[in-house]
Amino acid sequence: MVERKQSKPPPIKSTLVTRRLDTLLRGYSTNGLPVKLNFDHNSQSFPIDLTPNGSGKSYRATVGDQIVDVEIIRAESGILELLIDGERVTAYVSSENTERWVTIHGQTFVLTKQSGARKGVHGHHHTVGELTAPMPGQVRAVNVSEGDAVTKGQTLMVLEAMKMEIRIQSRMDGVVKSLTVKAGQTVEREQILVEIVDTLES
Amino acid sequence: MFKKILIANRGEIAIRIMRACKELGIKTVAVYSEADKNALHVQHADESVLLGESAPKESYLNTEKIIQAAKQTSAEAIHPGYGFLSENANFAEAIEENGLVFIGPPVSAIRAMGDKAESKIMMKKAGVPTVPGYEVLESEDDFKKAAMEIGYPVLIKASAGGGGKGMRVVEEEADLPEAIQGAGREALNSFGNDRLLIEKYLPNAHHVEFQVFGDTHGHLMHLFERECSVQRRHQKIIEETPSPLLTQGLREQMGEAAVKAARAVNYFNAGTIEFIVDPDTLKFYFLEMNTRLQVEHPVTELTTGLDLVQWQIRVAAGEHFPYQQEQLTQHGHAIECRIYAEDPANGFLPSTGKLLQYIEPRGPGIRVDSGFRAGDEVTHFYDPLLAKLIVHAENRETAIQKMQAALREFIVHGVVTNIDFMQAVLAHHDFVQGKVSTRWVETKFNWVSLSEPPFEPLIAAALADLTIVNRKSSTVNSNMPDPYNPWKNPSGFRV
Repeated sequence: MVERKQSKPPPIKSTLVTRRLDTLLRGYSTNGLPVKLNFDHNSQSFPIDLTPNGSGKSYRATVGDQIVDVEIIRAESGILELLIDGERVTAYVSSENTERWVTIHGQTFVLTKQSGARKGVHGHHHTVGELTAPMPGQVRAVNVSEGDAVTKGQTLMVLEAMKMEIRIQSRMDGVVKSLTVKAGQTVEREQILVEIVDTLES
Repeated sequence: MFKKILIANRGEIAIRIMRACKELGIKTVAVYSEADKNALHVQHADESVLLGESAPKESYLNTEKIIQAAKQTSAEAIHPGYGFLSENANFAEAIEENGLVFIGPPVSAIRAMGDKAESKIMMKKAGVPTVPGYEVLESEDDFKKAAMEIGYPVLIKASAGGGGKGMRVVEEEADLPEAIQGAGREALNSFGNDRLLIEKYLPNAHHVEFQVFGDTHGHLMHLFERECSVQRRHQKIIEETPSPLLTQGLREQMGEAAVKAARAVNYFNAGTIEFIVDPDTLKFYFLEMNTRLQVEHPVTELTTGLDLVQWQIRVAAGEHFPYQQEQLTQHGHAIECRIYAEDPANGFLPSTGKLLQYIEPRGPGIRVDSGFRAGDEVTHFYDPLLAKLIVHAENRETAIQKMQAALREFIVHGVVTNIDFMQAVLAHHDFVQGKVSTRWVETKFNWVSLSEPPFEPLIAAALADLTIVNRKSSTVNSNMPDPYNPWKNPSGFRV
């Protein structure tokens, strides 16, 4: 049903890309822990575990009862070139809030990422207004104070992780209820940064 | 020739017309609504005029504002595109009364063909075959008698209708009164006119239409057919030429009938005669005439080699159309898929949102007429047509293969599209054999989207979350420079 390109992938030529990937993935390979994510598709839930292999560019992925080896050949904005069990796959991926749009072999899937990590993995649940660090890094700037009114899409703070800036934007209109980090502070993945509450409810 | 033309439309067709203007050395004026401030068609034009609010009646349906915009910019002619005001006789008339040129047919032809009952009576007189039926009926008894004579099933439809509104299929007499009342009500609400006509219903009919073209000097001919039987909600979604149903003999007969029909209303410029064909008897019947450029005109352009929009402009400026019927032939096979922002799994309901990724296929024999780019917002105000993907190949089989490959390369994220649905239709044996009727999608084609995603997309989504940051602003545009091109790399790294 699913067609695949049979040809072997060319060797990675760009050292730039390789370097970037190494940097990108170091956060996960050092602690060696599996990353557990959950996606919804048509109201059904699909858990996926990614366990980094030594190099930091390859993973063992567990989806349901399937276990496959995955290697990232190239990761650019919106496009991933992967080796899945040795076969080359180009994936177009876009994200908006919790929605993930993925096109592989010309077929498009809309997946919804369940907020934060999977239940039981980190032992805490996030509310809608809680914003967590998407990856480990350093808080570069905090643009709001507790009690400030904010609007949906407003940049509340900027994280720097792996030489890239990540804007933490409010997902709703509301008020800053609590601010748990300061500029310069180092944060872990999934650490709560700021909580926004609905003005009407407070 | 005109120096400046105003295009009274938006989206892909506005851009298509502007391209033709540019090739002819004509300046273009775009009109737009609030919602279209940053739309691609506005960027394509030399000048642009804001019409008003996003609602069509405040903008693209507002005759006064459009004519005012043309005067203000000294445009000499107006091209209406399709939809909106393109088949509005009063609009065409107002343009002419203001000393401007309407790029289209004579006002009288638009008016004559605008009413289904009247045009049918006229076609009968002209000797064009029409579906057996009656046009001027009053009482329920009249309809009952007519239906008995024609034989069930019958079709009740609004005389002023279009787009499937005010239309009812009736299988037996008991259902007739309700159908008449329902269709009449719907027609009154939609068109302000509740006149109905009755005709024989042909459940397996194909929709085959003929492109006609004429100049203002009385030279009129046809440019072959388009098979448009793949439809949903009475709207075409796949069109192709040549039709897999027609024999050469039937093609000639239908072509002659099409020219006869157009001649009956002294037609000039581009028009389309729609027929339905009974695949069992190969009898054909006049359905209606569309007095404008058709959405699916590119398949005719690719197989005849003619630029229909350029010729529309040229004959509107008074030029002679230089070809004779015998000189024209069709080369190869062309198919068009209309890529809609709609959800086939949810009754084809339009899908709105921001285009997070938008990458069009490319390659030999592939044409994409589109009005969007990555980052654009697809709003609920207008038709959800994103693009038309058209392919041209040696024959039908290779054209289908080319379309399948091209669809696989069409990446649209942010709105749900009918791309996967199109793939399923193209792969279906009924389509491959050319045996699709206009009701096929509704009655025979059972499409369900994949209930469970394979593991690859899940893996990709998970890895993307780990590797691609700054996603909120990451929209990818096919027109951006190749991000992998090492020569363009801004860093000090050299190859």
